[in-house]
Formats: sequence, C-alpha cells, structure tokens
Amino acid sequence: MELIDYLPIFILLIIAVLFVGGTILVSHMVGRRKYGKEKMSPYESGMIPVGDARRRFSVKFYVVAILFVIFDIEVVFMYPWAVIFKKLGVFGFVEMMIFIAILLVGFIYIWKKGALEWA
Amino acid sequence: MEFTLPAIKIGAIAPELILVCSAAGLMMLDAFAKERGKTLLPILSIVGLALAMVASLKLWGKSEVTFAGMVAVDSYRVFFNIIFIIGALLTVLLSMNYTPREEIDRGEYYVLVLLATVGMMVMAAGTDLIMIFLGLELLSISVYVLAGFARGQLKSNEAALKYFLLGAFASGFLLYGMALVYGAVGSTNLAMIAETLATPHLPARVLLMVGVGLLVVGFGFKVAIVPFHMWTPDVYEGAPTSITAFMAVGVKAAAFAGFARVFIGALGALHPDWTMVLWVLAVATMTVGNLAAITQSNIKRMLAYSSIAHAGYVLVGMVAGNEVGRASMLFYLLAYTFMQAGAFGVVIMLGQKGEPRLNITDYAGVGHKYPLIGVAMAIFMFSLGGIPPTAGFVGKFYLFGAAIKAGYVWLVILGVINSAISIYYYLRVTVVMYMHEEGEEVLAVSRAPAVALALILTSVATLGLGIFPSWIWEPVQKTVNLLLG
Amino acid sequence: MVAESSLLTWVVFTPLIGVAILLFVKPEREELLRWITLAVTLFVFFLSLPLFFKFNSDTYLMQFTQKIPWIPGYGIFYSVGIDGISLFLVLLTTFLMPICILSSWRYITEKIKQYMIAMLLLEMGMLGVFVALDLFLFYIFWEAMLIPMYLLIGVWGGPRKIYAAIKFFLYTMAGSLLMLVAILFLYFKSGMNTFDILKLYEAGFPLELQIWMFLAFAVAFAIKVPMFPFHTWLPDAHVEAPTAGSVILAAVLLKMGIYGFLRLAIPLFPQGSLYFTPLIIYLAIIGIIYGALVAMVQPDVKKLVAYSSVSHLGFVMLGIYALNMNGIEGGVYQMLSHGLSTGALFLLVGIIYERRHTRLIADFGGMQKRMPIFGAIFLIVVMSSIGLPGLNGFVGEFLILVGAFQVKKIYAIVAAVGVILSACYMLWMFQRMMFGKLDKPENEEVSDINKRELAYMLPVLVLIVLMGVYPSPFLRRMDASVAHFIALSQGKKEVYAFEDKAVNPVSHLLGKSKVGKSDGRMRDAQFTMHDAGFRVKRNR
Repeated sequence: MELIDYLPIFILLIIAVLFVGGTILVSHMVGRRKYGKEKMSPYESGMIPVGDARRRFSVKFYVVAILFVIFDIEVVFMYPWAVIFKKLGVFGFVEMMIFIAILLVGFIYIWKKGALEWA
Repeated sequence: MEFTLPAIKIGAIAPELILVCSAAGLMMLDAFAKERGKTLLPILSIVGLALAMVASLKLWGKSEVTFAGMVAVDSYRVFFNIIFIIGALLTVLLSMNYTPREEIDRGEYYVLVLLATVGMMVMAAGTDLIMIFLGLELLSISVYVLAGFARGQLKSNEAALKYFLLGAFASGFLLYGMALVYGAVGSTNLAMIAETLATPHLPARVLLMVGVGLLVVGFGFKVAIVPFHMWTPDVYEGAPTSITAFMAVGVKAAAFAGFARVFIGALGALHPDWTMVLWVLAVATMTVGNLAAITQSNIKRMLAYSSIAHAGYVLVGMVAGNEVGRASMLFYLLAYTFMQAGAFGVVIMLGQKGEPRLNITDYAGVGHKYPLIGVAMAIFMFSLGGIPPTAGFVGKFYLFGAAIKAGYVWLVILGVINSAISIYYYLRVTVVMYMHEEGEEVLAVSRAPAVALALILTSVATLGLGIFPSWIWEPVQKTVNLLLG
Repeated sequence: MVAESSLLTWVVFTPLIGVAILLFVKPEREELLRWITLAVTLFVFFLSLPLFFKFNSDTYLMQFTQKIPWIPGYGIFYSVGIDGISLFLVLLTTFLMPICILSSWRYITEKIKQYMIAMLLLEMGMLGVFVALDLFLFYIFWEAMLIPMYLLIGVWGGPRKIYAAIKFFLYTMAGSLLMLVAILFLYFKSGMNTFDILKLYEAGFPLELQIWMFLAFAVAFAIKVPMFPFHTWLPDAHVEAPTAGSVILAAVLLKMGIYGFLRLAIPLFPQGSLYFTPLIIYLAIIGIIYGALVAMVQPDVKKLVAYSSVSHLGFVMLGIYALNMNGIEGGVYQMLSHGLSTGALFLLVGIIYERRHTRLIADFGGMQKRMPIFGAIFLIVVMSSIGLPGLNGFVGEFLILVGAFQVKKIYAIVAAVGVILSACYMLWMFQRMMFGKLDKPENEEVSDINKRELAYMLPVLVLIVLMGVYPSPFLRRMDASVAHFIALSQGKKEVYAFEDKAVNPVSHLLGKSKVGKSDGRMRDAQFTMHDAGFRVKRNR
C-alpha cells in the first residue's frame, strides 16, 4: 500500500479540523457574552457544587471499574466466537468453556474475598 | 472466508498449562481454605513448579514450531524454563519463612509468582513478537504487584509505583519498536523476519533501524542495561527481599530470553548493525554497575548494582553472537540464578521483621558466629566476583572466551578490568563478615528452615557448577546452539 | 600405597579430606583440631616423599602424570604431573605445612577451626598450582589459593590486617585477570583446542603476539614474585599476616610467581621473553639493590625480612633470566633455600614476637643472654640467608652469579653488591637484637625456645645445612628439566639432547666438593664459563 492511498483520510482530517476550529472561532467572535455568578460556577449537572473538587473516592469504585473492564472484554471476545461458532464446532465450545472457567475462577475469588460487597 | 484451525499440541505448552492450573487452584484454595489450609500454598506451588519442570524436560531435544509459528519447542526454551523454574522454586523457598515474618503472607503472593513464571516461559517460548510481548506483560504486571506487596511499607509502595511507571514506559517502547519492525518487514513472526532480512534488498531500512533501536531500549529497561537502569536500585531495595531475588534472577533471565531470541534469532542478519551499540552498552553497563556498587552501604542496593553489572557481562556473550556466546549466556544466567538468589537468601536469613539492619557493616562478625551462613555468603560473593572454583568464574570464562573467539579483545579486557573492580565490593562483604570486630550485637538469625534449604541448594550448586561445569555445559552447547534462530 | 599415577592427586587433595574431617569436630575441641591438622599435613608430607625418591632424574618428561577429561567441550583436562622443577616446590610446600601448623599451635588462639581449614585449603591450592599441567587447571588453583591466604591475613593478622588483605587480593587478582584474557586468547589463536601446557609449548606463535601474551602473563607473575615496581603489597602482607601466613607467603607463594615464569611465560613465548629480557634483568637487579637498601633502614624486623625477600627474589629472577644452566639451576636452588631460610626467619620472628609482642628491633638488645639456643639457631638462619658457604643460601647465589657473569659481567658485579648489602642488614639486625646490653627490663623475663618450637626449627636447620653441604641430590634431579627448559626458552621445537648427566659439570662438581673449599669451586666455575654448550646466544 502506498502512502498516497491515505490521501482522502488526510483531506478529511484537515476538513474536520478546519470545520471544528472555524466554528469555535466564529462563535467566539460574533457571539454575545454575558457572565453571572451561576455561569462562572463549575458545571455539576444542575446541582449546586459542594466542597472541593479533589476529594478522594472509595477504592471500591476502582475495583468495580476494573471488574467491569474484565467482563466487558470477555463479551468482546465472545462476539467473534459466536459468529463462527458453527465452523469451530465442539472444539470451539470446549475452548470457550475453558475461557469462561478461568474467568469464573477469578470471579469466585473476588467474590470470596469480598470485593463485591459494598459496605 | 475459509477458516482453518492452527495445529494445536497441548503437550507443547504443557509446562505453562500446568502452572496456570496450579495458579488457579491456589486461588481457589486461598479463597475457600481456613488458616491452616493456607499453609499448603507454598507446598502446592512447589509441587506445581516441579511438575512443570518435568513437563519442560520432556520437551528437551526437540526442534519444532507449533501454534501457527507462535510457540517454539526447542532446547533453548527448555533451558530457560529450567532457569525460571529454579528461580521460582528458590523464591518460594525464600518466601516460606519470609512472608509470615513480614506479615505479608497473603495467598495471592504465590499465585502471582506462578503467573509471573508463566509469563517468563511464554517469553522464552514465543517465536512471534506478539507472543513475546504477551509474556512480558503477564510477567511484568504480576511483578509490579509483587514489588508492592508489603503494602504497609512506604518503600515497597514506592518501588511498585516506580517499577510500574517505568515498566509501562518500557513496554511502550518495546511495542512501538515491534510495530516499526512489523511495518518495515511485514511480519511479526521471528522466522519470517529473519527470512526477509536475509534477502539483500531491504524495503525500509530507516524504519527498521528505528524499530530495532526501540527494541533495544525496551529490552534494555527490562534487563536493566545502563542507561536504562535507573529504576533498579530503588525497586530492588524497596521490594520484599524474596521478590527482589525473584526479579534479579527470573525477570532478568526472562528478558534476556526474549532479547536474545529476537536479536539473534530474528535480527541476526543485522548483527553488524546492532553489535556496536550493544558493545558500548555492555561496557557502560559493567562499568556503571560496578562503580556504583562500590559506594553502596545498603546490601540490597549493592546487590542491585551488582545485578546491573552482571547484565553487562551477559551482554558480552550477546555481542559475541557466536555459538559459544549464546551457550555461555545461558550458562551464565543459570549460574547467576544460584549465586544471586543465594545472596538474597542470606540477606533474608539475617533479617528481622521490617529489615531494619541492611547495612553491609551490620554483617560484622556474622562469619564467625554463624560459620555456615558465613561460608555460604562467601561462596556467593566469590562467585559473583568470578573467582574459581565457583560457577561465576566458569560462566565468565565461557562468556569472555566467546568474545575473544569473535575477536572482541578490548571488550574482554574491559570486562576483566570490571571484574577486578567488582571484587573490591564483593570482598568488602567478606571483610565485614570475617574481619571486622563484632559489634555489641551480631545480627540474629531468624528461624527459617526453608531458607536454609535454599541456601544449601544454591551454595552446593554454585560450587558444583564451578567444579563440574561440563554437566551443564555439554548438553547446552550441543543442543541449544543448533536450535536458536 | 596408592598407585603412582594417582599419587599426585592424593597429595593435592588429601588436605581436602582433612577439611572434611575438621568440619565434624566441634570448634571448642581446640587441641583435637590442632592434632588432626598436624596429622593430615604430616601425612601429606610422607605421601609426597616417594615423589622425591622414585623420581627419575634421567628425563625431562613429566612424571607421575595423570590425565582425565574434565571439560571436554573446551579440551580441558584434569592433568597433573611434575618435573625436576616443580618436584622441589611440591616438597617444599608439604615440608613446611606441618611446621607452620606447629608454629601456630599457641599463636592462634581464636577461631582455630576456621584457621586450620584455611591452612589445609591453602596447602591444596598451592600444591595444585605446582602440579597442574593444564592451563585452565593452573588458573583455577592459582586463583582459588588466594581466598584462604586472604582470609589468613585478614582474620588472624595484625592491626592493619584488612588493608593488607585487600591489597594483597586486589593486586594479585588484577594481574591474573589479564592473564585470563591472555589464556583465552591463546586458546583461540593457537587453534589447537587444548589447554595442555606441554602441547601449547609447540604452538610457535608469531613474534608480535608473543610479545603481548608474554606481557600479560609476565605482569601477573611479576606481581606475585614480586618484582621491583610491583612489590608494594608484599611488606604490608608480610607484616600483618600471622607467622604461619608469612612463612607460607615467603616460602611458597612468592615461588609461584617464579614458577609461572618457568612453566608458562618463558617456554610458551620464548621470543616474547627474549624481547623483554634486558628489562627484566634490569628490574631484577634494581630489586636486589633496592630491596637490600630498604631492608637496611627498617625498624621492624618482620618488614626487614620482607624487604630482604624482594632482594632475594631479584636474585632468583636474575638467575633465571641468565637463561643458562648455572643461572637457572641456581635460581631454582635459591628458590628452595630462600623458602627455607626466610621461612625460618619468619618463624623465629614469630617466636620472639609471641614472647615480647613487639617486632621493633629497638625494643630488643642483648637477648642472647636470655635466649642462648634461640640465638644460635637465629645465627645459623641469618648466615644461611646471607649466603655463607656451607649453608644452603650460598649454592644458589653462587650459581646465579656465575650464570649472570656468563651473560654480562656487570650484572654479576652489581648483583654481588646485593650480597654484601644483605650481609650488612642481616648482621646489623642480628647484632642489635641479640648482642649488646640487656637494658630493657621487659626483656629480662623472656624464656628461651621451648621443645615444640625446637621440634619444628630442627628439621629446617637440618635441611639448611644439608642443602649447603650436599646439593647434588637436588641439582641432579633438576638437570634434565632445566636443560629442557633452556631449549624451550630458545624457542627450539626439537627436544634438547640430554642423555649424558655429565653435561652439567658445575652441579656435579659442586655436589662432590666438600665444605669450605671455596677456591676449588671458583675454578670449577671458571671451567663452566668456557663451556659453550650452555651459553645462550642472544640476538641483541
């Protein structure tokens, strides 16, 4: 593949940058601006902001996030498997069972260790 | 699209499978067993490692590639497996008394050690850049956690974070290098790369060279070559001592396994290009490692710098690049496994909870109060310094011999000058142990039968390899060389 | 008894069996530890006696050889054997070891078990160096021997023991590591896939290579000897080492350097050796004079003896680099006598140190009144060291001077100044210590030499006299090997014709001549000077 083949993508990239940049620039120049107390406060989905922005979260959030990623990837892996499931036959089935079993071991482990309990 | 299954031979990856299953089993045991059941964890890991050893040895002498060219079944891999398993076994032995003492005896510990070992094995087995990278990541992530295992200690946290950040950085370099090599050559398979490079006409030389350079950086981080060594002393000092031993012994060997497989196996045709770079790096690594080790007062830091210097010696074998050079790298890494693990074993043996006294001067009088520990430490120090009749001497003899054979006389001269420098600080340990007046209190020995066993094994092996090296050397030279690459 | 072929192996490794026995003795049982070690060293000595009596002096070939494959991939063999040169060094070692053990009977009071183990390991290492016929094996013993010696100095030494021990170790190690590079280079360049020293003799390397190789080997050995600019470790090591350590250091370890020249550096690289011959001769002569001058001003008697070693070993090097029959035989003979007399001097210094805990010459004076037997022995040993005719020192020095004279008169003349100087410092030291007024109150209560001390001094004295009056059994066994060595040193590939014992009239006449007839000897020497058969033609 030659580099020239990427030219359309490159042109698209330039157009996208120009468009976005241009829009922001134009609205910045022609738009009217009015500042008030509410407008200058940080956006908190309509709530009134409370406390410092740099507060510590419970580590449990991270654990859940990591667990989510793992099972998320599991599903991602299952999609292509499902597409060619018939071609793979019994072998594919066994392989996927092993894969799930490994994840299950991990799942049981975190369960027993109490990572899923919030309190 | 037609789909064909790659050839699958379970036997070819039996050692890895055994270890993964053991690790999974250990996790379950840890999750369900009561306190008493948990004492079985190290025993079971030893059993798993022993089984993996048997499975590895069964692959000895073969020479084939399976799993669609991803996994090699050859003696090179088997020999490295032996090194890794011995390293892991010694680590488990060192940990059995150490983790309870430091109150870090949680079940994940052994699971992670086993998984890291699997990662090492994958690195040695991989004949594809992707496989090697996978192995490296499995290894690295496990070791990042292990380095920070002593959660209560700031130093351990620091070590883990530092190791993680720099390690991730190095992984990035490595992966980018792999991508560039792939871009230049059009394959991630080592055999294919070698084949393409063997043709006189190279499509994208600049791209390739940048890629190779990045690979050097990436692997250089992992084996701790100067100037990519900065993390080593801090991480080695902060990590739990048993894990330090594991890193110094196993991780380094694994990184060399991948390093040599890629550079000699796949990039052998570019030997004239990278050899000068490695020549300079080898000299820099030996010199900086040894000079910095002289000034250390903490024994763990001293051993860390000495491990950097030893990476330099092994690089000498890689620069030589000939058959003797490759075999001598393997031999040296095995010898190094015993002596370095042994040295850390002594550090564990003479430590108390929290390891408050790690200064070399704290070892005053140890040689006389505990003659056996003193002799063991002396053997390790003399071996690390390369004094006969120890494994370290024979290893250096082979390495330097290979380099002379390849015509790198100056490299060898610089190498032996470095050996002479290194003797100064290794001697200092024996000087303190035997010749300094015993202070008000000599270090107490903690009751550690497993560590004692490890010390006996390593010191006997260090002497044994030094006196009868051909038991290992002959099979290594005969089989390993023919198969690599 | 053991078979002749494995006799050397037994001699070398019996100390290791001793170590194994000692390991099972409790450290508190001090007497038992001492007796076991003494028994082992005595046993080794008796084991080594057949080497002398069964030695065939008609051949230069290696005897009592044994060769077993060790690391076949590299062509490395466990290969041992002795010729007329190494024979005596082996015997010197086995002879001195029991004496050293006896001398440290009361001197060493701490960590006796470790001390005895270190001594036995040291004996094994030294013997191994002298019998090894494989370069790799030689190097292993050469290096391994450093460890016990380093421990001896560092653990049981004097106040500055650590400094001395490290200096000793690093100096020797630095030299021998360069030798390691040379050994590896040699192996790959010779293309013979062997470390067999005797085979490598025939390799015949190109001149430039020989020069570099010789340099690498020679520096390692010169440090050990020690030759003049590399000698600074020696006084430190000697002064700080315990008595037995000093004895072994002076008597055996220094000889390893000379032996290295004889066995390796010169015959392997004859052209390279010739290239450096003038330099080495100059350094040897500088060493003779310098050592003697420095010895003269030493306040410490042990340091005095140490510097006298530098001077005496300069003689040995001069003799060897005369590269003729007289010079080399004299050199080898002087090695033995220096081993005995300097060893004995250190023993005597040790004896007096045990009583007074000082070694400063100024602290003594008039000791003869309190220690008459000691004084008598001391006098004999001092005379032997000076080279009084009738004692062992004379034979070697005389042969060396004759050999040097044959090469260039000025060498012998300058070196002879060294003999005079040695008489000066030795006798002056003796006079200040033993004669004069007994004016120090501390010296009043000093007791004379006791039975144990007498027991180990007597064998040395007997040998000193024996070697002085009857050198022929010793020289006869060297003849063939030395002649062969000369052939090798001239780079001759074919073996030097040596059938007739009469080719070396000097040693024979010397052997037959009686004590005190020094005039007769002089004439014999004149006779050999015209014996062109062994004159070396050097191409300058």
